[in-house]
Amino acid sequence: MNRGPFIFIGLFIILALSWAYTLDRPQAESGKLSPIGSSSERMPRETVGLAAKGKEVYQEMGCIACHTQQVRFESGSDIARGWGERQSVARDYIDQNPVLLGHNRIGSDLTNVGLRYEEADVLHQLFYNPRISSSKSNMPSYSFLYEERKIIGQASDNALVLPDEYAPEEGMEIVPTSKANALVAYMLSLKADYDLVEAPSLKKVDLK
Amino acid sequence: MNLISNICSTLCPQLEDGEEARQTERAIDASLRFPTLGLIKGAAVWLVIALAFGIVSFIKLVSPDFMGDSATFTYGKVVPAFWNALVYGFAFNGGLACATWTIGRLTGKATGLNITLVIGIIAWNFSVLFGLGGIFWGDQTPFSLLEFPPYAAYMLLASFALIGFWALKTFNKRIFRSTFAAQWHLVAAVFAFIWILSVAIIMLYCAPVQGVFQGLVAAWYSSNLLGLVLFPMTFAALYYFIPKVFGTPIVGYRYSGIAFWTWMLFTAFSGPAALVNGPVPFWVSSIGVLATFGLLMPTTTLSIQFLSSLLGNFSNIWKTIAGRFLLIGALSFTLYSLLSIYASWRMTNEVIQFSLFDSGLMILGLLGFVGMTLIGGMYYILPRIVNKSLPSNIIDLQFWAQSFGLILMVGSLLYGGYQQGALLNGSSDSSLVTILTVSQSFLFVTILGAVFYLFGAVAFMVSYIWVTLSSRSETEKSAELVKASSDLEYSAS
Ligand code: HEC
Repeated sequence: MNRGPFIFIGLFIILALSWAYTLDRPQAESGKLSPIGSSSERMPRETVGLAAKGKEVYQEMGCIACHTQQVRFESGSDIARGWGERQSVARDYIDQNPVLLGHNRIGSDLTNVGLRYEEADVLHQLFYNPRISSSKSNMPSYSFLYEERKIIGQASDNALVLPDEYAPEEGMEIVPTSKANALVAYMLSLKADYDLVEAPSLKKVDLK
Repeated sequence: MNLISNICSTLCPQLEDGEEARQTERAIDASLRFPTLGLIKGAAVWLVIALAFGIVSFIKLVSPDFMGDSATFTYGKVVPAFWNALVYGFAFNGGLACATWTIGRLTGKATGLNITLVIGIIAWNFSVLFGLGGIFWGDQTPFSLLEFPPYAAYMLLASFALIGFWALKTFNKRIFRSTFAAQWHLVAAVFAFIWILSVAIIMLYCAPVQGVFQGLVAAWYSSNLLGLVLFPMTFAALYYFIPKVFGTPIVGYRYSGIAFWTWMLFTAFSGPAALVNGPVPFWVSSIGVLATFGLLMPTTTLSIQFLSSLLGNFSNIWKTIAGRFLLIGALSFTLYSLLSIYASWRMTNEVIQFSLFDSGLMILGLLGFVGMTLIGGMYYILPRIVNKSLPSNIIDLQFWAQSFGLILMVGSLLYGGYQQGALLNGSSDSSLVTILTVSQSFLFVTILGAVFYLFGAVAFMVSYIWVTLSSRSETEKSAELVKASSDLEYSAS
């Protein structure tokens, strides 16, 4: 029997079905969500301006190799670790293009990192050298996003505040580049501190 | 009916005189020499490059300040560079080397040097280079096994289309109309790759789907890239080379059809399993998990076919060069497939999700199953297309270095990844840094294993250079070196 065409037809059917049922159908079912509310009430929060630039830096640097952005509820210890109060759902991601779900957790989940840090300084110090705050962390240093320069006249307001053993020489200061500023702005913008009907936060559930 | 037609076509080649058959084979080999050698060379070079990236990335996990000042070689770039160089560089070149040669041989007549094929191969390798450059330049995408920037993805598709066009055209010119298992798998791989890459490009870049569904498309793509493209190419190599190397048919060959169709069917639906508990509709990831369980069926059939064919010839395996690589490849397949089914079981998945266990599985699949099998295939092809014998000392060294390295890497990542995952997902008692110290103790073993495997890869390159550059001995000048191979791919059906 000449099986040539038979193979093509069979494969075509399999691939078409697989596309229809595992990609197209879920997409048609819940892939056209819109945000709820507008401006400052908008859910999910919009990533705009500097933070949007920072998202590009995040992608470029491959932070995704170690960090996820998805809080699970059914399994794992995400909520116990304080990474979020509720499960992440499809609506949380509608603005993300490309989406930064991640599939490796050498570091923490960053869905709500903006709730854990309030000040840019701490994050700048973390990116400049993660070993300053946590000596055994294996997060890479992103010191190349910072510039060491001579202090001319007055020291810059943006200069990093570093412990003595990490501080630059006298007369020098370390300032973030625009990429570092953007990355920090992006981190600070990451917060899913709103409730969606499809995933109420656990606190609310407890109260009921 | 099938059987009868197969028997008919079986009779034709056997009517031919052995000498004449050998003449045809030599003509086919000659017409494929240039592209196949190019692909083998590509596989060897990319394997070394990929492993170098792999080792750098593993070292960075243990000692993050290693090359720490380099923005180009930061961990987040080296990791995707490693996997992509391994897949599109090594595995595709190796797979296509075996594929073009097998398709050519099974077509049964020389088709002449084909310029489309050559251009396709060169373009493919340039696309991989561009893709890697793009990652280091800062254009990577967050989709696993498709981290190459979009422009490189378009280039890959275009160059593969050229190669695929040649493959299908040549397949169509075959002189025996009935087909063999190796051909089904190769044709399927070519067709599936063009399909899945087009879908990924359309749904991720041209008309990107919303948010989390991009993650779904990416999971679908990467699972199918392995299951519908690289693995079928490797199955084809096992189906074709085992009978060739040992002169015995594949045990239970008549179950190949059912194994082929069930494998394709279940694999095509298993992708979403990667997103279990994630923010996608629950039923989609459940389909993925169910389909993964379905893979138990073809896995059993394929494993029995390959392993019993190989073990039936156990005493001869060590006398051949290709045979032992095929054995490690087939063993890795069985282990890989069983472990991935085990890993998608709910209880296990809860432990290992997001841990290094996944990397261990991928290494087993790519360096073990795909890597070792294809290297075996390439070692079967090499002496035939250049009419020289292989440097068996170097290859001995390569074989042991790679096998040992593989065991160290896979063992440490699977065991260590499981420990890591248990601490990570089980409770919130241990901090991330505590978990790191646990993982780092086994990562040393991973690095050691990767160094061994790299050593083997360098030996692979050396033996390739040796074979192509050394001057010919007297026997190598004559046509006697390679004997006509048995027509087993015909009689086995
Ligand atoms: C090699 C893996 C790795 C990479 C790559 C990596 N990180 Fe990390 N990151 C970690 C680890 C591990 C920790 C936790 C350290 C600790 O707890 O002391 C961490 C912690 C963090 C934290 C603090 C989170 C918290 O919950 O307190 C932030 C923010 C962060 N990383 C952002 C980034 C960004 C942005 C990038 C990319 C520019 C990045 N990381 C790249 C491993 C990594």
